[in-house]
Amino acid sequence: MRITHDAVAGTLESGDVLVRVAPDETLGVSVSTSVEAQYGDVVRKVVATTLAEFGVESGSVIVEDKGALDCTLRARVQAAVARGTDEQIDWPALIGRLP
Amino acid sequence: MTSSYGVLSAGNAGFDPATVQFSKYSDSALIPDRSVLFVPGSSAGMLSTAWIYGADLYTFDLEDAVAVREKDSARLLVANALHSPQWRGLRVAVRVNGMDTPFFADDLEAVVRAGAAIIRLPMTHDSHMIEELDRRITAIERACGREVGSTQITAAIESAAGVVKAREIAEASQRMVGLALAGFDYLMDMHAERSRGGTELFYARCAVLHAARASGIACQDVVWGNIGDEEGFVAEAEMVKQLGFDGKSLINPRQIPLLHRVYAPTESELRFARKVVAAAEEAEERGLGVIAVDGKMVDGPIVAIARRTIAYAAGHGAAR
Amino acid sequence: MGEVDALLERAGIARDADVEFFALAHLGTELVGCMGLAGDVVKCTAVEESLRGTNLVAPLLMEVRYAAIERGHGRLFVYARPKNARVFSALGFRPLAEVPDLAVLMEDDPRGIERYQASLSAMVRQGERIGAVVINANPFTLGHEYLLRAAAADCDIVHVFVVGEDRSLYTYGERFHMVNSGVAQMPERDRIVVHGGSRYVVSGSTFPQYFLKDAPDVSRAYTGIDLQLFRGYIAPVLGIRHRFVGTEPTSEITAQYNAEMTYWLCDAPMAAPPIEVHELQRVGAADQAFVSASKVRALLRAGRLSDVRRLVPATTYDFLVHKQPWDAVGAGGERS
Repeated sequence: MRITHDAVAGTLESGDVLVRVAPDETLGVSVSTSVEAQYGDVVRKVVATTLAEFGVESGSVIVEDKGALDCTLRARVQAAVARGTDEQIDWPALIGRLP
Repeated sequence: MTSSYGVLSAGNAGFDPATVQFSKYSDSALIPDRSVLFVPGSSAGMLSTAWIYGADLYTFDLEDAVAVREKDSARLLVANALHSPQWRGLRVAVRVNGMDTPFFADDLEAVVRAGAAIIRLPMTHDSHMIEELDRRITAIERACGREVGSTQITAAIESAAGVVKAREIAEASQRMVGLALAGFDYLMDMHAERSRGGTELFYARCAVLHAARASGIACQDVVWGNIGDEEGFVAEAEMVKQLGFDGKSLINPRQIPLLHRVYAPTESELRFARKVVAAAEEAEERGLGVIAVDGKMVDGPIVAIARRTIAYAAGHGAAR
Repeated sequence: MGEVDALLERAGIARDADVEFFALAHLGTELVGCMGLAGDVVKCTAVEESLRGTNLVAPLLMEVRYAAIERGHGRLFVYARPKNARVFSALGFRPLAEVPDLAVLMEDDPRGIERYQASLSAMVRQGERIGAVVINANPFTLGHEYLLRAAAADCDIVHVFVVGEDRSLYTYGERFHMVNSGVAQMPERDRIVVHGGSRYVVSGSTFPQYFLKDAPDVSRAYTGIDLQLFRGYIAPVLGIRHRFVGTEPTSEITAQYNAEMTYWLCDAPMAAPPIEVHELQRVGAADQAFVSASKVRALLRAGRLSDVRRLVPATTYDFLVHKQPWDAVGAGGERS
């Protein structure tokens, strides 16, 4: 799946994250986080995993994290990608089943 | 962020339903929630931390708290939050958007799948809406492998029609666990105005409460919007508690301890309740048909109330 | 608009006329914060004194972002006073160039200028002596042609940058077309590389003025930023060590401007190598060096095409006479 137009989701409030996506030829992810020292890698991993779940192949993804929990990171990346693509999304598969 | 979050609120954990035996509350249902705290589904910060406030039930709101532009993003925040370690073990309700909005269907799909315990349906006017909701939930539960029937429903009564049809609404589905009176829209529908005394809500309160009690489900009173007026809030809470309401919908965590204090049994009430339950158990052991406490006869309803009082103290924290 | 102007005035800034959208924050009925958007530039940000430090700019920026996306701008720039750079850093912007105590240019794409540099590197040409010319070409005159020829006489390779803003008599697309046509007729054409406009070649005519007091400040601010971008980001990729500029006695290029240019490109302490500035000297009896684009525009507006013919290359004249509406994007060049 490809990002086909500019989109944004989230906010810069504490505990949240701002995700901006734009079309691009390749997949490029930039992450800046207010908790780089302790959680920088975790944030990058959650973002990468979420993008992979969507099968995002190309697009510019800029993430500004203000200390968001994993579930918030996931939600905002999902929202930004959904807003930024014209392609159909299989939500049931993404939201997942109950244990 | 991945460190473990302990559940600070006793909330609805650690409670033994077997000690509660009154009217139609089933064993898998629980002590009715006194405090139902609304958490805006669009606020990542609040969704991350609200469990700290000790409400009996949290309702993640996708409806009035969320701007149209954010409906899609809030839905995802709520769905992901429901799955998260912080909220997974807790019973959480979600207020979806109204049935006649373009957001309703997607909201339901997402939050039933994600594990919401209760769906709160706004603007419930009649039983058909509940039947429709029930059908849709069943379809989603089947599709995602969730136990069919495990998702419950609370109907928000926000109109004259809803008040008049409250009993049918309460009976419309096995999933129904509560009626919640919502004041703002109801008053607009009635062309009435909110006042401190609450006369304008009198009939609605009585009607909805009767419907809930007759059907054996819970009943919550309206939101108190004036956060600064704590005295007014407590006065209203005491009044509706006396009427028989199980609790209130809240929009600010500061209201939680105030409300819990109103609903907590006094020490003397608790002492009496323990005596009653002890006497009832002794009577049962000795095969006596009659229970007496302090020389007075005590019958079934009083025992039930006593058990509920003790359960309140046990499940919700110490008495006042 | 009245309350916005009042708020801006209290903050000591003006309202730039090109702001298309204002995000507003109210406390009750009182306006306590605003942030403006002009194209892809964030400007005219003000927060009531008592609310500074409450991060009111964050939700304001969110509104601006949504408005920008609706208008087709996913990336944003901000020109602000240097002391406010910190505020915008927290909002996701990073500084590109700064004139101390005067102005700073920031962008919100962490790889914005790097991507531009990558596109430039595709146009690298080898040479011992590489020069550059930056022109508006509004329209492309004999004076411009003369400038390019002089540069090509002095260098192995000349990179020509056409300023991208669409505020001139002719659109960016039209100007880019005129430059390309003109260069294609020049004997030196194989050694001249024409570059389309970008957000990183700054035009003085569109530089934000809302936080600057007077014309000299504006001039110093935009030249400082433009020249730092050129020396720090553009020139190194292409190996440019020489810049050629024409002097026009009747135009806005003053001795002051050239002094600025010399300072920023040569003397200012920067990691990037210095660039020699060559002011075009009048050579021989040729009038060509002194053909000013503004003179040509005046003639055009007066409808004096035959007079214009003497002042522009044939390719430009052909274009002016047969002017077709141009699709700016179709004419080529990078517009971002």
